[in-house]
Amino acid sequence: MAPDTAPDTAAQALPEVDMFTMVVLRRRFEAVIREMVNALFRSGRSGVLNTAMDFSCSLTDSRLQAISTALGLPMHVGAIEFIPRAVMEKYPDDLKPGDCFVNNSGYHGNTHCGDFTLCAPVFHEGELVFFSIARAHLGDMGFPTPTTYAPLARDVYEEGLMLPCVRIQRDWKDVTEVLDICKANIRAPEQFFGDYLATLAAVRTGERRVQEICDKYGARTVTLFLEQYQHYAERMATDAIRRLPKGRVVKEARYDSETPLFPDGIPVRATMDVDPVAGRITIDLRDNIDNLPMGINMTEATVTACCRMAVLNVLGPDVPRSTGAYRRIDILMRDGSAIGRPIHPAATSAATTNLAQVLTPHIQSMFAELSAGMGTAYSTIGVQGSCPCVSGTDSRHAQRPYANQILMGYWGGPGVHGHDGWLTYGGGGAQGVLWQSSVEIVEQQQPMIVERLEIGVDSGGAGQWEGAPGAHCVFRVRDDAVRFTANTAGRDFPPPGAAGGMQGGASMVWKIDRDGQRTLLPITLDVTLAPGERLESQACGGGGYGPPLHREPEAVAHRVREGWGSPAQAERIYGVLLTADHRVDHAATAARRSHAPADRIQR
Amino acid sequence: MSIEIAVDVGGTFTDFVVRAGGIAAYKSSTTPLDIADGIFNGLALIARRRGTTTAELLAATSSFACGTTVATNAILEHKAARTGLLITEGFRDTLLIREGGKADTYNIYMDYPEPYIPRSLTIGVRERINAEGGIETPLDEAGARRAIAELKSLGVEAVAVSLLWSIANPAHELRLAELLTEEWPEIPFSLGHQVNPALREYRRTSAVAIDASLKPVVQRRLAEIETRLRANGFQGVLTFVTSNGGRTSAEEVLAKPVYLCLSGPSAAPHAGSVIARTEGIAHGNVITIDMGGTSFDVSITTGWDTPTHREGVIGGHMFGVPAVDVRTIGAGGGSIARVDAGGFAHVGPASAGAYPGPACYGRGGTLPTVTDANLALGLIEPAGFADGQITLSRAAAETAITTHVATPLGIALSEAASLMTLSVEQNMVAAIEDITIRRGVDPREYVLVSGGSAAGLHAAGIARELGIGQVIVSPLAGVLSAYGIATGDIRFNFARSLFTSSVAFDFARVTAVLAELAAEGSAYLDRMRIPAERRLLAFSVEARYAGQVWQLSLPLPRPSVANAEDLAGVVAAFHALHERVYAIRADDPVEFIEWDLIATGKLPINDAAADTQAGPDASAALIGQRRVYLKQAGGAVDIPVYDGEALRAGNVVAGPALVQERLTVTLVPPDATAQRSVNGGLIVTLERDAF
Repeated sequence: MAPDTAPDTAAQALPEVDMFTMVVLRRRFEAVIREMVNALFRSGRSGVLNTAMDFSCSLTDSRLQAISTALGLPMHVGAIEFIPRAVMEKYPDDLKPGDCFVNNSGYHGNTHCGDFTLCAPVFHEGELVFFSIARAHLGDMGFPTPTTYAPLARDVYEEGLMLPCVRIQRDWKDVTEVLDICKANIRAPEQFFGDYLATLAAVRTGERRVQEICDKYGARTVTLFLEQYQHYAERMATDAIRRLPKGRVVKEARYDSETPLFPDGIPVRATMDVDPVAGRITIDLRDNIDNLPMGINMTEATVTACCRMAVLNVLGPDVPRSTGAYRRIDILMRDGSAIGRPIHPAATSAATTNLAQVLTPHIQSMFAELSAGMGTAYSTIGVQGSCPCVSGTDSRHAQRPYANQILMGYWGGPGVHGHDGWLTYGGGGAQGVLWQSSVEIVEQQQPMIVERLEIGVDSGGAGQWEGAPGAHCVFRVRDDAVRFTANTAGRDFPPPGAAGGMQGGASMVWKIDRDGQRTLLPITLDVTLAPGERLESQACGGGGYGPPLHREPEAVAHRVREGWGSPAQAERIYGVLLTADHRVDHAATAARRSHAPADRIQR
Repeated sequence: MSIEIAVDVGGTFTDFVVRAGGIAAYKSSTTPLDIADGIFNGLALIARRRGTTTAELLAATSSFACGTTVATNAILEHKAARTGLLITEGFRDTLLIREGGKADTYNIYMDYPEPYIPRSLTIGVRERINAEGGIETPLDEAGARRAIAELKSLGVEAVAVSLLWSIANPAHELRLAELLTEEWPEIPFSLGHQVNPALREYRRTSAVAIDASLKPVVQRRLAEIETRLRANGFQGVLTFVTSNGGRTSAEEVLAKPVYLCLSGPSAAPHAGSVIARTEGIAHGNVITIDMGGTSFDVSITTGWDTPTHREGVIGGHMFGVPAVDVRTIGAGGGSIARVDAGGFAHVGPASAGAYPGPACYGRGGTLPTVTDANLALGLIEPAGFADGQITLSRAAAETAITTHVATPLGIALSEAASLMTLSVEQNMVAAIEDITIRRGVDPREYVLVSGGSAAGLHAAGIARELGIGQVIVSPLAGVLSAYGIATGDIRFNFARSLFTSSVAFDFARVTAVLAELAAEGSAYLDRMRIPAERRLLAFSVEARYAGQVWQLSLPLPRPSVANAEDLAGVVAAFHALHERVYAIRADDPVEFIEWDLIATGKLPINDAAADTQAGPDASAALIGQRRVYLKQAGGAVDIPVYDGEALRAGNVVAGPALVQERLTVTLVPPDATAQRSVNGGLIVTLERDAF
C-alpha cells in the first residue's frame, strides 16, 4: 500500500546534497509549515480552528513523501499522503497550476468527514514538485444532527455532506458551484466560508513558499534534499527498532458496544511483530471484525495514522514523523473491517475518535508486553460529556444561533514508564495538541453556566505511574434550551492499564433535572436540556503503568495531600499508610506492602 | 556633574552603563545570594576606575535604574512566597489545567507541570457571577471567612484572589479584599481584576497568583537595594525596569510586582531602537538580538514601535501583564553539539553553561560547544576571552569536536566546526522567523542590531539567511540590556475592565473610566517628576467583533469617546486594524472589553558623541593577520584583524576580516564590508547578490 517506490536502503547512485544545505533546507521547510499554520490560525472564524487549534498543515513531494513537522495533530498528519494520492488517482492527466481539491471522504484517503482537507499541486517551471495540504476540523458538515461525529449513523447517508476529492479551485479561482453546494448543506454557511478561506490561505501560502525555495536552490537540489531526508528518517527509525527485543505480541481490547451484534463489547485486535535484525515492525489488523452499521468504523487514513504514531511514540521523539520512518512499519489491514478499510456505504464519521482512541494506545501497550519499561497504558476514549457539541439559540443576543464543540476537560493521558499521564492529553489522535476552552469564553458564547470543572478524584488509573484523571464537569442551562451531543465511551471498558497498572475510572454522563433527580445518559448522547437543568460528566481517566505497589510512597502521599486521590485508595490499592496529616507512615507501609502481592490487588 | 547609572543584574554578570558626559560600560560578577552585594561590588569597581569612592559616586548620581531578575528567578527557582489562592468554588484546578496545547507533541515521556499554586493551598469560595456581570450566587461570607482562617492555618505568606467574571463585576473580589483586611490585616494579597483585567480565567488567575507570590520577596529585595543606596549617599531617583521595557519607581513595582517579570531582557528591544536611531536608520524597522552563554533573545521593532503582548511565560506560567515580545531560545556560546543515529548534527538547546562550560574553558567540560567551534575555526583568540578573565585551550576544543562531531560524521575537524556554527545560526534564524511570521512582517525590510559578546561572529550569517542587508554592532553591544535600561523611558500601564458594544455604547461609563485612567496616569507622571512637554498618555482598548474570542489592542484615535462621532472614529480604526492583521473586515458590531493607558515620560537621548570623518583607510587599526577557516571563503584563509577601538569614523574594513574589541569580536564575511560610523557603531553591509 505504501505509495512510494523508493528502495529501503540509503545506498543510491544520486549526487549528494551536502550537510550544510541539508541543515538549511530542513529549517526552510519547517518555516513554510509554520507560516501555513499561522495563516490558518489568524483567519479561521470558528472556535475549533482559532481556539482549539484543531487543524494541521502538511507538504508532500510529488512522490507523495510526507515532510516532517513537529506541528499538527498526530491523527491529522499521520497518513497525510493519502490526500495527494487521491488527487493523482482521480486526475492523473488533469493537474494544472492553480488547481485545488477538497476532500472529506474516508473512501478517498481522508480521516473522517468532519475534517475538511484542501490540497493543491505545486508546480515549478512546469513540473509538478509538491502538494500543499491543509486539514481543518469544521464545526459543522451538514449532518442531520448538529455534530460532526455520529456513532449511531447506520451508513454514510446518515452522515454529512461528502466531498470526494473534487476540484474547488481552478486557475486560483473558486469553482463556485462546489462552494454553493457546501453553503447549501452546512449550518452557519458564513462561518464555513470564512474557514474555507482560512484553510485555502494556508495551502496557497505553502505553495508560494516552496516555489520560492525551488527558485533559490533549484528544484533538483530540493528534490535530492528530500530524498536524503527520507533516508535519514529511515535510518533513525531503523536504528531505534534495532534496539528493541525481537518478539510477537497478540492482544485484544474491548470497546463499549452499542450494538446487539456485540453484547460483550466490541473487540479491537492486533498482532505485532518486532524484527530488530531487519529493523521492521509489522502490525497485523486483519483479524478484526467486519464493518459495523455504525459511525465508529475507522478509515484507511485513521488506521494508518494510529499505527504509525503509536509505533513512533514508542521509538521516541527524535525519529522524524515522515515517510522514510513510515517505511519501517508494515500495516496489514482488511477491506470491509471496522478496523481496516471500510466498504461503502459504511459510516465513518467517528473514525478519528472512538475506536481510534483504543487502537493507538492498544498498540503502544503491546510494547509493554514485549519489554519491561516500554510502551504506555491506554488514554481517554471517546469524546467525553465535558467536550460536547452544543447548539441552540441565545436570547442574550437576539436569538443568535450557535453550533460549537467545546473542549472542557479533554484529558486522561496514559501512564508511561517514568511519568504519570499528561493531564490535557485528549487521546492518541491529539496527544495534548488541542487547546482547552476557557470557562468564560464558553459562557460568553453559549447561554450556559459551567458550575464545575475539576479533576475527578481517584479517576486516574492506579499504577507505578498513574494515568491522568478525567474531568468532572457540570453545565447548567440558563434561559434558553441547549442541545448537547457527545460520543463518549469508556464506561463498560474504561482505558486499561499496562504492565500491571490499573484501568482509569469509567466515563459517566447524567442529566440532572430541576429537582436534582439524576438520570444516567447513554454513551452516545443527544439531549436537549431546559432552563435550570444540568449535564454532569465524569470523564474516564487514563490507565496506569506498572504495579501500584511499586509507586513511590511519597508520590502517593503527595497526591492525597493535593486531593487527587483518597487516603482509602492509598491504602487499599497502593499499600501506603498515611499519618493524620497525610505523611507517609513508612513502617506501616513497608509492613502492608510486604503482605500484598502486586498481582492480587483489585480495584 | 550629574551621573546616571543603569544596572542589569543578569544570571552570570551584572552589567553597568554609566553616563556622565560620556558613556561607559562595565561588567562585574553577579552574586546570586545577595543581589545588592553584586551591585555594590560593581559600584566599587566603577568608582575605582573613575578614581573616586562609591559614596562620592552615588552622591553625584541623579538617577539609578535597575533591571533585576528577582521576580524571574523567584518564579523559576520556586522561591516566591507560600501563597494561598481563593477561587470560585468548583474551579480549584484552573492553574493545573492551564489552556492546553503542548509544545513537544511527539514526546510522550514528559511530566505534566505542577500548578503555580498547589491544590492544597487553593480553596473554593461559594459565589458566582455570570458573563453579563449578574450575580448567580451571592458570596458566602461565612464560608469566605472560614477559607481565610484555613489559609492562615496553612501558613501562607500571601493570598491571591481570582473569581470567575470578576472583570464583568468585581464586587465579590472587592468584598473578599475587605474580609481579608478584617480577618488578617497584615497579609499581602492581590485581586485578579486589578492585576490583569483580561478575559479567560487561567490568564487572570496565573497573573494574580504570580503577583501575590512575589509581594513579600520583591518588597524585601527592593528595600535592601534602596536602603543600601540611600545609606551610601544616593539622593536621586531610583527606578526599576518592568516587563513592558519602561522604567518606574519602587512604588508601582511594590504594588504590582508581577510587572518585574523579565525585567532586564525586556530593555534590550529599546536598546536596539536607540542604537538604530542613533545610526540614522530612518524606517525604524529593527530586529534586535542578544546572544549570551546559554540563551538567544530576539525582538522586533516596526516603525519604532516594539509590540507588547500579554502571553509572556516564565517557567511555564503565564504572567499576563503587558510585556515586550521577546522570544528566547536555548542557543549560545555554551550550546552543545551532538550527532544523532541518522547522521544529523544538532546544536543545543542543552548548554554547558558557565560550569563546566565549553571544553576549551578547561573546567572539566568535554562536550563540544559553539565557543569551541569558534575557537577551532580561529575566530576567537585563546587569550583575552571575556575581558581577559579566561584563557582558552584550543587543543581541548579540537578534541571535543573531533570526538563528538567530526569522527561520527566522517568529516574534517574544520568542516565539523563550520557545521556547528551553521547549525546554531539556523536555530537563531528559526527563532527570528517564528516572531516575524507571527507578526506577519518581512525581515528583509529590517536592520539587525547585534548584542551580546558572542553575537558578532554570527550576526552577519543570520542576516544573510534572512535577507537582511545591514547589521549594526554598537560599542555597547556587550551590555545591551543595561544600555536599554539607561535610555529607557519612564512608563507604566493602567487598565480598567468595562464591557460595552458599538451598538449600545455606554458613553457615560467609558468617559468616566477614561477620566479615571487619565488622572491615575497624570498623578504617576507627577510622582516621577516628568515635565509636561515630555509626557505622553496613550489610550487603547481591547476590542473584537461580536462573537470573536480573541481581542486586538486598538489605540484610541482620541483620548475620549464622548459622542457618536468619536465612536465612529474608533469603529473605523478597528475595521482598519482587523483588516491589517487578519486580512478581512466584517460588518459585525465591535465589542470593547478593557480600557488601557500607557503613561510615558520620554527620556531625551543624545549619546551620539559624533566623531569626525577620517576617511575609509582603516590600515592604522590593523593589528595583524589570523589564519581562520571560513567555509564561504573556500576554507583556510589568512584574514586581517582590526582593533575596533582604533577604528576611526569613516574607516572601511573589507571582508573577510575580524574586528576585535574589548567585549566583542565581529566577523565581517567575504561578501560584506564594515564601516565605523560617526556615531561609534560598526555598520556591516552585506552585498545584495550574496542572498
